[in-house]
Amino acid sequence: MAVEKMKIISIVGKRDDLDKVSRLVVLNGNVHMLNALSEINANYFELEASEDHIQAMQELSDIKPYINRKDFSKYEEILKAFHKIFDINPSVNSKYLSSEYDYEKLFEEIAQKYDTVREICEGIDKKLAYINKLQEYIDNISYLKHTGLDIRQLMSLEYMDFQLIMLSKENFLKLKLNYENIPSAVFQVYAAEDNSIVAAFTPKSIKEDTERIFESLNYKSLELPLEYKGIAEEITGQLSKEIEREKQEIAGMKASAADYKKSYSSEVIRAYSLLELEKKVEHVKSEVAIGQQLFFLFGFVPVGKLDEISNTIRQNSDKDIIIITEEVEKRRAGHAPPTKLKNNRLFKPFELLISMYGTPSYNEADPTPFFALSYMLLFGAMFGDIGQGLVILLGGLFIKYKLRSSDFGGIISRLGVSSMFFGLLYGSIFGNEHIIHGLWIKPMDNINSVLISAIILGVVLINIGYMFSLSNLYQRRDFEEGVFGREGIVGYLFFWTLLLTVLSKATDAIVFPMPLAFTLLGLLLMIMVFKQPLANKIKGHKVLYEEPPGDYYIEAGFGIIETLLSILSNVISFIRVGAFALNHVGLYIAFATMAKMVGSAVGGFVVLVIGNIVIIGLEGLIVFIQSLRLEYYELFSKYYTGYGIPYKPARVDGERS
Amino acid sequence: MDNITRYAAINTKIKTMEGSLLKNQDYIKLLEKDSVASIYEYLKEHTAYSEILSDVDPEKLHRGTLEAVLKQNMIYNIDKIIHFYSGEYKRFITTFYAKYEIDELKKIARAIFNKEDLQKYKNSVFIGKYSGIDTNKLFDAKQISDIIYSFEGSEFYNYLIPLVDNNIEENLFRFEMILDLSYYTMLKRQWAKLSKQDIKVLEHAQGLIADLLNLQWIYRGIKFYKMQPEVLLNYTIHLWHRLNYGTIKKLCYCPSLEEFFKLAQQTKYSFLFKNDGTTDIFMERRLDRHIYFELKNMVRTYGMSIITTFAYILFLEFEVRDIIAIIEAIRYKLPANEASKYMIRTIREEA
Repeated sequence: MAVEKMKIISIVGKRDDLDKVSRLVVLNGNVHMLNALSEINANYFELEASEDHIQAMQELSDIKPYINRKDFSKYEEILKAFHKIFDINPSVNSKYLSSEYDYEKLFEEIAQKYDTVREICEGIDKKLAYINKLQEYIDNISYLKHTGLDIRQLMSLEYMDFQLIMLSKENFLKLKLNYENIPSAVFQVYAAEDNSIVAAFTPKSIKEDTERIFESLNYKSLELPLEYKGIAEEITGQLSKEIEREKQEIAGMKASAADYKKSYSSEVIRAYSLLELEKKVEHVKSEVAIGQQLFFLFGFVPVGKLDEISNTIRQNSDKDIIIITEEVEKRRAGHAPPTKLKNNRLFKPFELLISMYGTPSYNEADPTPFFALSYMLLFGAMFGDIGQGLVILLGGLFIKYKLRSSDFGGIISRLGVSSMFFGLLYGSIFGNEHIIHGLWIKPMDNINSVLISAIILGVVLINIGYMFSLSNLYQRRDFEEGVFGREGIVGYLFFWTLLLTVLSKATDAIVFPMPLAFTLLGLLLMIMVFKQPLANKIKGHKVLYEEPPGDYYIEAGFGIIETLLSILSNVISFIRVGAFALNHVGLYIAFATMAKMVGSAVGGFVVLVIGNIVIIGLEGLIVFIQSLRLEYYELFSKYYTGYGIPYKPARVDGERS
Repeated sequence: MDNITRYAAINTKIKTMEGSLLKNQDYIKLLEKDSVASIYEYLKEHTAYSEILSDVDPEKLHRGTLEAVLKQNMIYNIDKIIHFYSGEYKRFITTFYAKYEIDELKKIARAIFNKEDLQKYKNSVFIGKYSGIDTNKLFDAKQISDIIYSFEGSEFYNYLIPLVDNNIEENLFRFEMILDLSYYTMLKRQWAKLSKQDIKVLEHAQGLIADLLNLQWIYRGIKFYKMQPEVLLNYTIHLWHRLNYGTIKKLCYCPSLEEFFKLAQQTKYSFLFKNDGTTDIFMERRLDRHIYFELKNMVRTYGMSIITTFAYILFLEFEVRDIIAIIEAIRYKLPANEASKYMIRTIREEA
């Protein structure tokens, strides 16, 4: 239920071990890599002066980035060819992944194996190319359909040369405007959106001149087959038959590779898995710095995984390897630690909606639990119905298990449950409020109390938002904003003073003398205006303003207006929760009335079914968005920045989650 | 959206950005300098280039790096403008990048064709800016067809692929011509999606530029290349302002250079062709200077239109070219008053 704590791991080892250590790092899959050079430059990587560290300390002064990138394209090609003739999907199988293998030897073997099937592969490729060529003929010849001309005859005229060419629309216009000077007969046979297909007859004796003119129009010659007799339609038929034949032959060739498939396929999968691993290893190495004989590797690791990774590396490498772990807080500069969220199963799916707004910063409280609870609460309150909630729940489960979108499906199904819960409170099943008694309230009969409860709910949520904000500002040790800022202590006091003032004006519940109220409000506002000079004065800084004072006060002045407006609008905004609860009932009443007007029982039932579909689809969507809006705008703007970096460890994809 | 609402904000932004273009005074100062280093020094201390130049190590400074930085500054400013546009307008402004990318690409193609070392072209900042291609593949090219394949997936590719398809031998000339002309096709196809007023203004401005380029092309075609008139005509830009298609066609079919001069003298652009032997040397500058002043006029006349943006981008380009001209003059040790003749703007000596 929080942002996971990170530590920095620094590994210094012999260059001979670099391959193995990088592989172990990827296989472990928990290290978020840091660029070693910038890390060393920014944080003055310090080693305790001891005998073990002498060499590392010497080499630190002269380090270079690791370059020497491997080229995987050759082996990728080979594996692709294997996948093609064996008809298997490329996939990583974790049982083949290990740090003990010889990359060069492995792929030499694969290349040798490829030689045995090379002939089949190349044969298939050749046939595929031939099919493409035939298809191109079919496309080209289609422009001459309905002409009734014998293509071969056309191509073998004695004095005239026939050409089918493609020009851009603009260039065809140029040709047309200068018809009288063009030494051949041209006409457009087909006009596509951007191009024109043109047939051209040229006397053979002046073909060269015409060629030059066409060249200057950037023509593309469309080839036609010479081997076939007949008009366009007949040739197309023959070509299609030929393509069928070729396709069958390809299938036959693939069948002949079946024996190889049996003996090679596990090896191909192994090679593919290791190639994927090797690619990640290269990525790890690209972040590493190297000295004369040593390498330097840095990364963030979640605290819980630290022992596991340092132990495996220690066991598997030279005994001189140096592994140092360091607190994140000690860092002077450089990249902020990445954020890995840890939430229980109930809240986990909501991380999706959080990251749509931004990833939490490392030193920020994880807003997911509060977000999840309040989001379910808001949605349910606006869309409370046992039956419709059940439909949403089932829909969510369908998305989760059938469409395999577990986060989104998870959110939807949780919202469905919340909707059912509120349906129980409101006593509503598919809009009908007469079947069961509500446990709490019927919205339509108590409009005022529903709206007032909505505002009270809003005040409660905003209060929690302030708590989060104060805690975050404290975490950041931001004195200025935390004490005097709009989301800090003074802002919070202002919020309550304003609220009590309005309350005492509107009701008799409490008495709050007006002069006192206004003095207090004015005082708090003034403190917010002068927050920066005040904070700097108290901290004893010489410089009171970080920008020209003129600019500062203009900004602060507008800040006041915004503070006033946003407090009022944020609170009032929550009325929508009540309004949509009413709206939900209202929409059903409209359909129920229509059902009554239809007259027949069957017709009425149909109208109600349609009504429920509309309510679930349309209103469900609106309420989903409105709740999101309340969260993002009214609440997140208070306490959440979302400037964090997501945690992306180096690991082989698809191997484990 | 009508033009007033569209351009109120953009034009204000451009007005302030124009404020950071070099002033007359700056050019006078720059013309007095006698080394690339002192030009760098001046630009860094006294002009809007200071920020972008502060990243340049003066130790490693030479003409190429300075040029690349100046162009980087163009991108920086054009990107700023692009943020003010959306939809088809945004895409239209990005077609300007196609123009500059084509310029650089032609230089690289020439180097590849002549088997030169490509190292000094590696900081061509516009490459990939419009086409979005992977520059590594381009710089690995060994011949023209490799260049074309490196553009696979981009808009340029569709225009260039007939060159490979027709299996004709390597042809640098056609490569360059196709790119140049396809730019105008792309431009026209994109501006067709803008508002009517803007199309009118663009046809005017771009038509004027096309007039001048067409004249220059036909002149060179007749004088140096001795080209077939049909081919000459096909390679003209189909945009007109003061010269219509008929005139252009007549010019292309002129049997001799004398005939061409006679006809050209009757057009509004007779100033390009002077009888004093300066025609070839100054043609390009005369043409650019004419565009420069005509655009200044147009901005005054059609303020609330795309012309402010169009002109600003060209002024940026002219500024870069003028600075480069000054640097070049230093290399050939031209005195200031001689050097200023090769600049696009006219420099007024102020007391």
